[in-house]
Amino acid sequence: MVLYALRRIPSALVVLFLASVAIFAVLHLAPGNPAVVLAGPDADSVTIAAITHQLGLDRPLPVQYAIWLRGILTGQLGQSYVLGAPIASLIGRGLGNTAQLTGAAVLLAVGLGFAAGTIGATTRSRVVRAAVVTFTTISFAVPTFISGVLLVLVFAVWLRVLPPGGHASLVTDPLGGLRFLILPAVCLALPASAVIARFLQTSLSAVLEDEYIRTARAKGLPAARTLLRHALPNALPPVVTVLGIQIGQLLGGAVIVEAIFAWPGLGQLILQSFVSRDYLVVQDLVLLAVTVFIVFQTLTDIAHAALDPRIRLGS
Amino acid sequence: MSNLRPAECAGFVLVALIVVAGAAAPLLTRYAPDFQISGGTLLSAGVAHPFGTDDLGRDLFSRVLYGIRVDIVVSAAGVPLALVLGTALGLCGPLWGPADVVIQRTFDVILAFPILILGIAIAVITSPGLIAIVTTVALANVPIFGRLARAAVIAQRERDYVTAAQAIGAGPLRILVRHILPNSVDALIVQAALSLATAVFVEGGMSFVGVGIRVPAPSLGNILNESLPYLASNPNFALGPVIVFTALVLGLNLIADGLNARLSHR
Repeated sequence: MVLYALRRIPSALVVLFLASVAIFAVLHLAPGNPAVVLAGPDADSVTIAAITHQLGLDRPLPVQYAIWLRGILTGQLGQSYVLGAPIASLIGRGLGNTAQLTGAAVLLAVGLGFAAGTIGATTRSRVVRAAVVTFTTISFAVPTFISGVLLVLVFAVWLRVLPPGGHASLVTDPLGGLRFLILPAVCLALPASAVIARFLQTSLSAVLEDEYIRTARAKGLPAARTLLRHALPNALPPVVTVLGIQIGQLLGGAVIVEAIFAWPGLGQLILQSFVSRDYLVVQDLVLLAVTVFIVFQTLTDIAHAALDPRIRLGS
Repeated sequence: MSNLRPAECAGFVLVALIVVAGAAAPLLTRYAPDFQISGGTLLSAGVAHPFGTDDLGRDLFSRVLYGIRVDIVVSAAGVPLALVLGTALGLCGPLWGPADVVIQRTFDVILAFPILILGIAIAVITSPGLIAIVTTVALANVPIFGRLARAAVIAQRERDYVTAAQAIGAGPLRILVRHILPNSVDALIVQAALSLATAVFVEGGMSFVGVGIRVPAPSLGNILNESLPYLASNPNFALGPVIVFTALVLGLNLIADGLNARLSHR
């Protein structure tokens, strides 16, 4: 497994490096000089030249890229001129909130996905299986911006049991914080839970047909133990892979969910920076999203290899 | 098409209804999408305005119908573009090792972007609008089609019939297009249906968060965004986008599932 990790990590780093170059290139291809935006409408050419120099925009692009990369590796992200705060502290503040949201969504997605997938694979009732298929089809297909609006309508407007949006700290006000967290977390979790459920159901159904499961049943093992000790572990590898991709995608989904529920996270920060043309912040956040995606994809590939010797030992 | 399953059939009907409604928008409504009815702000749904009116007194039924046209354009432009480009890259890559490596790495990089984050980055260059959405849809789908086509090449190129074709003097292009491509057509068709659903999602998502179609131009995503402050007082504001989006993506997914089931059991 260590050997597999040693093979897998360098290729992940190559993709990450290429992605960082692409992000840098894309944001420097953007029309308009950021210094002109920052200097304001009435600035003279001397001020603009000074700001251009201060931002390092008059230096060759490879040098600018190196400076950007060094800043990221040392945590010196610079100053957001539009919001008037260090970029690192802006990202730090949003990161905590987005981590709460995505963390809760992962737990919900795994819980719902495993429950639905296991029920779908083991039930003998047609009605129950149809219900599972309906749940996965709908939660996979319906986009988060629709499910979010529907959740607000049902639970905040009509039933009035949960707030339609906002945020409270889980530390100082655990109960209030949780109330704000539930709807956005459910909204973000639904599509991921559907994907997990579908993959688990397919994989588990196939495993349950295997002969060693029949043997386990024949020697009198309780159904629960057969399922938990024999069937589920062997059904896991494909689910783990898809789980990694789903977690990596959550930061993209968080942009929409945070916009619906006024959740003060990184999604709100990237949109705010986009609108105010604060492209340095956008650049850092896009890189962060890509890094998170690549990290989770790599971790789950390694976990997959740990679960499945054929991958770990294959060439 | 002879043995359509009910779910697939329902999918086709849903999608066809919406496409026709969008195409026939001028016949179905007498209000222009940006016409402001004086004294008619935030009307509830009724006979004159099936979805009511928005905060500026514009007929929401008209805005929804014209908004559907954006999704038709995005789907009709972005997905075929990705299909052609991705298939070409996927088929030709394996012909020459170094090109294959470059193409595969490029695909890896594109796929590392969560799709909405990709949309935001693209909107920085092109500025928000139709071009940004179509580019995002095309770019995000090229690697998916490319990998499907490449998988067919890898799986088929050692087969005897390919050797036979080579032996009678067929060139690489002819072998790829005439002999190998047909093997991946099923997978590409199913993926095209899924990509159409992605296209609708990307339009909605990008316009919803403000990096896609901007008001006053109507789009389902930006109507939904504008409805957010009025969900408590005028839930009908969100009615149109909710119905159309749900029907569209559900319909396209049902079609994809049906195609998948039919083509894989053939």
